[in-house]
Amino acid sequence: MNFHLIDWIILVAYLGLSIFVGIWAKKYVENMEGYFVAGRRVKVALGSATLIATEIGVVTFMYFAELGYVTGFSCFILGIIGFIGYMVIGKTGFIVSGLRKLRIITIPEYYQLRYGKNVRLLGGILLFLGGVLNMGVFLRMDGIFLTETMGFGPNVLAIVMSVMLLIVISYTVLGGMFSVVITDFIQFVVLAFGMLIATAFVLIHVNFATVGAVVLKQFGEAGVNPLVNPRFGWTFLIWMMIGSVAISALNQPAVSKSFASESPAVGRKVFLYTGITLAGRYMIPMFWGIAALAMFGPNMNPTTAMPRLLGTVVPSGFLGLMIAGMLAASMSTYSAYMLAWSSVATRDIIEPLSKKEFSEKTTMRLSKIISTLIGIFILIFGLFYELPATAFQYIAITGAMYAAGAFGCVAFGLYWKRANIVGAYCSLCFGAVAPIGFLVLEQLKGILPSSMLFLIDVNVAGFMSFVLAALGMILGSLATQRSHPPIVLKPKEEGA
Amino acid sequence: MDTSVLIWFVLFIIATLLFFGTAVVITVVGVQDLKDLLSGSTKKK
Repeated sequence: MNFHLIDWIILVAYLGLSIFVGIWAKKYVENMEGYFVAGRRVKVALGSATLIATEIGVVTFMYFAELGYVTGFSCFILGIIGFIGYMVIGKTGFIVSGLRKLRIITIPEYYQLRYGKNVRLLGGILLFLGGVLNMGVFLRMDGIFLTETMGFGPNVLAIVMSVMLLIVISYTVLGGMFSVVITDFIQFVVLAFGMLIATAFVLIHVNFATVGAVVLKQFGEAGVNPLVNPRFGWTFLIWMMIGSVAISALNQPAVSKSFASESPAVGRKVFLYTGITLAGRYMIPMFWGIAALAMFGPNMNPTTAMPRLLGTVVPSGFLGLMIAGMLAASMSTYSAYMLAWSSVATRDIIEPLSKKEFSEKTTMRLSKIISTLIGIFILIFGLFYELPATAFQYIAITGAMYAAGAFGCVAFGLYWKRANIVGAYCSLCFGAVAPIGFLVLEQLKGILPSSMLFLIDVNVAGFMSFVLAALGMILGSLATQRSHPPIVLKPKEEGA
Repeated sequence: MDTSVLIWFVLFIIATLLFFGTAVVITVVGVQDLKDLLSGSTKKK
């Protein structure tokens, strides 16, 4: 057991504070805009803190560390690509400013304005399914991290997962975006401190020279050159270049933070400042994974290597602080994701299907029920589903299921006047085909003929999802300009 | 040390410093933003 009394005191005090603050913020929720986008009054620094906290979770530490353990320094390229993607959005306001000017709450609302309500329904279903499947793996990775670092072993995984979930559901359901923003800010401070502690102790125990030598011995050139690494290559890198912009600008939990900002210009700046931190928040956990390789050798389970390292090198007292930081990261991610996906389900799926307009009270009540159901789903999914690839690739492919079609619909909708409803349907459907095909065929790989094995290459599936979505939008729109003339939108707010 | 390893280390150090440096700035300025958000919001009765 690595975890001692002082660690428990720190952890329980921190969890108690999170729950108290989250529930206390409930008193500020006076209407639907308050619940879903904090009244659109969030400024740059607070918006950046909450966006970073949303995007960092234990699951991100786990899958980046796993990548570091199995690919060496080659995976650092993802930090560079992601950094460039965010800088593009932050400097130009690409997509996020256009959406913020329309004062929408969810991305499928844009589909209705630009393409009609049935596209909103289809887009909402794809967004919700892709998003919740994407989230399915989070809790499992968190549970593994906690049991490994705290020294419990895998038999208490289910209990740890359930307790974490209960805490997050309690304040997300009650306080909505106000609770999420306030708790995110506290969690951002604690998680940054936790990362600092972890990195400092890793560097005390494993030096740069040893790490460099181990990577070269284990992987050769593939450890330092992503183009020759068998897990990456050109297909993967091009997919990531497009996907980093698409997922950054169209990931509902993240973009909700931009919608909550006090103006389109602030929404853009939130992405800019968040982007400055991006390479670091990718590379730091990747380095922990590489350090685990240097410390334990190549024969460990890649998923458990990093938490085992932290549980070994971080001493008692600091371990409690670090775990509090990691839990902070996870709770902020869960709360934002649950709120975002429940808002999509309520506003973009259930309300259009019921064919009557819900009151604000009904919308918020339904959203709370769905948040709870999402929590139950990810608990069950996390306990029983076996990942088909590395966790990072699983998350990227389920993200592509909705991001590819959404990117086709939103990017073309905002910047190409000829985009129309037929193009939108084609983009959403074609964009989802390759990732869904991958997830289904991967389960049948034992009976697939060798000529079809390329279909279960995760990198090919991810890359093709974006190509097909763009082709669907362009060809579908061009072929039907006369029968389905495009709708032209005017922004409700000005500013970059 | 191998040149390519050295390049990745330098990039790692720059990225890490940018992360923690920005985190400090965001924390300091964010406290004021949080105060503004709460003072400008109506409490539910």
